[in-house]
Amino acid sequence: MHADLIMTKDLVTCGPDQTISEVIDLLHDKSVRMVPVVDDNNHILGAINTLTFLSSLVPEYIVQGYLKSIPYAPDMGVLRKHYREILNHKVSDVMDRDPTIVMESESLLSVTAALITYDRFEYALVVDKQQKLLGIVASSDILRCLNKFSPEELFDA
Amino acid sequence: MHDAANQVIFGLDPTWVAVSILLVIYGIIMAEKFNRAVLSLLGAGLMILCGVVTQQQAVAGIDFNTIGLLTGMMVIVAISQKTGMFQYVAIKAAKMVKGEPWGILVMLSIVTAVFSALLDNVTTVLLIAPVTLLITDALGIKPYPFLFAQIFASNIGGTATLIGDPPNIMIGSAANLSFYDFLVNLAPITPLIMLMTMVVIWFMFGKGLHATEEAKALIMQFNENDAIKDIPLLKKSLFVLFCVIGGFTVAHTYHLEPATIAMFGAAALLLLQTWGQDLRSKDHAYEGIMAEVEWTTIFFFVGLFIIVTGVEHTGVIEMMAHKTLELTGGDFTATAGAILWVSAIASALIDNIPFVATMIPLIESMAPTFGGEEALVPLWWALALGACLGGNGSLIGASANLIVAGFAQRAGHPIAFLVFMKHAFLLMLMSIAVAHVYLYMRYLS
Repeated sequence: MHADLIMTKDLVTCGPDQTISEVIDLLHDKSVRMVPVVDDNNHILGAINTLTFLSSLVPEYIVQGYLKSIPYAPDMGVLRKHYREILNHKVSDVMDRDPTIVMESESLLSVTAALITYDRFEYALVVDKQQKLLGIVASSDILRCLNKFSPEELFDA
Repeated sequence: MHDAANQVIFGLDPTWVAVSILLVIYGIIMAEKFNRAVLSLLGAGLMILCGVVTQQQAVAGIDFNTIGLLTGMMVIVAISQKTGMFQYVAIKAAKMVKGEPWGILVMLSIVTAVFSALLDNVTTVLLIAPVTLLITDALGIKPYPFLFAQIFASNIGGTATLIGDPPNIMIGSAANLSFYDFLVNLAPITPLIMLMTMVVIWFMFGKGLHATEEAKALIMQFNENDAIKDIPLLKKSLFVLFCVIGGFTVAHTYHLEPATIAMFGAAALLLLQTWGQDLRSKDHAYEGIMAEVEWTTIFFFVGLFIIVTGVEHTGVIEMMAHKTLELTGGDFTATAGAILWVSAIASALIDNIPFVATMIPLIESMAPTFGGEEALVPLWWALALGACLGGNGSLIGASANLIVAGFAQRAGHPIAFLVFMKHAFLLMLMSIAVAHVYLYMRYLS
């Protein structure tokens, strides 16, 4: 069983120059939690998900990790202020430039290992040898696949 | 100090080899393109490879009292910062002045100065600066005046004690001066310098600090009690901290070195921290703390001590001491003044740690001129005051300044090098002038 057999091929993508507010609409309309960012030739530039947005709203001095938790701080309105500020920014300003990427020929074990090692996304982007985006494997796809197929099918396919 | 037994590479003059290594390594360290620990270890390796000193001589030159004291305190701080007590104190201080911006600036500066006196400056500013940004964000005002005041407070507070600033640790260790000696001789002048600094900062920034009533109300909504994360650990940390500081004050009487106290305290807190947990959790916690110790700084010191030992072996530092004495005419008052001012200017422009490492043997070799080691004590205070306070002169003057600048930059409030220097250099010179008057009145007149 290889990545290309379990991946979702019906993809929602966006370009680096689209605005944040367009992508937020896209996430909402298509009911997805992650959108790969690609250029005109379908090469991966990055990815953007709900956590990427939230981390761009929280002030840097908290994200940097010096204040690991701030249970003592009231809501200071900074989230809403930053939210209004970033709506017109470009996707390329906030996207994660180093998403989890796997090759179409990688085994189920290898894809699972990649997902848990990087520990940032629940998704891995599947690419061909030219680094073009082919599909997405979600962690739930792997569980579904283990449930659905017999051991023989998992090995042979 | 000349060591004819050493075989210097290619039969070169050991003095030139040693001085070249020192100058090249210090030069590259100042350029800040490479990690300073790597450079100092390379320099130390070269001293041995080129035959200036043997490995045994090099290892004998490492001041393990300084290394042990630094490492021990780093471990204690790494554990106690997990309790949230620093955030607690910072927020409590901000609320005590009812959210008034100038009051907060003064309170956070005092908190920074006190913590810097008892812990290392870098850790103190790393803990206080993020809370400061949180508070200035809530107040809706620029953080620069607050960070500026904290840089000064950390270096002034660090001057007060043996453990406050690395130069003091090195001086105390080399000159056999106790925690108590530092407390009696340096601590009395620091509140006055702090007061003067705050008055100047009020004229520079304080008058212009205003916040709305809503913003002040927001500060009062912070709940400092929620900052304390682990009450059992807080009790253990405070217990060990008090014991260690108490230990420092009496160590000299029992012929104990500060490193012994700090390392013992660190080991005790490491033991107490995970008391009652299974071995796996204990190992995990221990490894986490070890990863937080700033090994870069520790190895930087190790390399530096070896480089300075190499140069010392060639006798060139002794020669420089004689030259200095010629310049000051062998006059004690003039020598102390020269050490204070040269240390201050040098520490503002270069890293004060290598500077002090080089100055220590230089001052030691003045002992015969001034009638023995006892007579040198005022010169050590001059070096400590100059090196610690001089660090305020520019952004690169002390590690704490660099840490605050780097942090402010990443948090979107960059501090410009020249803007800082414009505000800081004259203020630093004023603090040195106060220190000079103090030295003169207490030791030199």
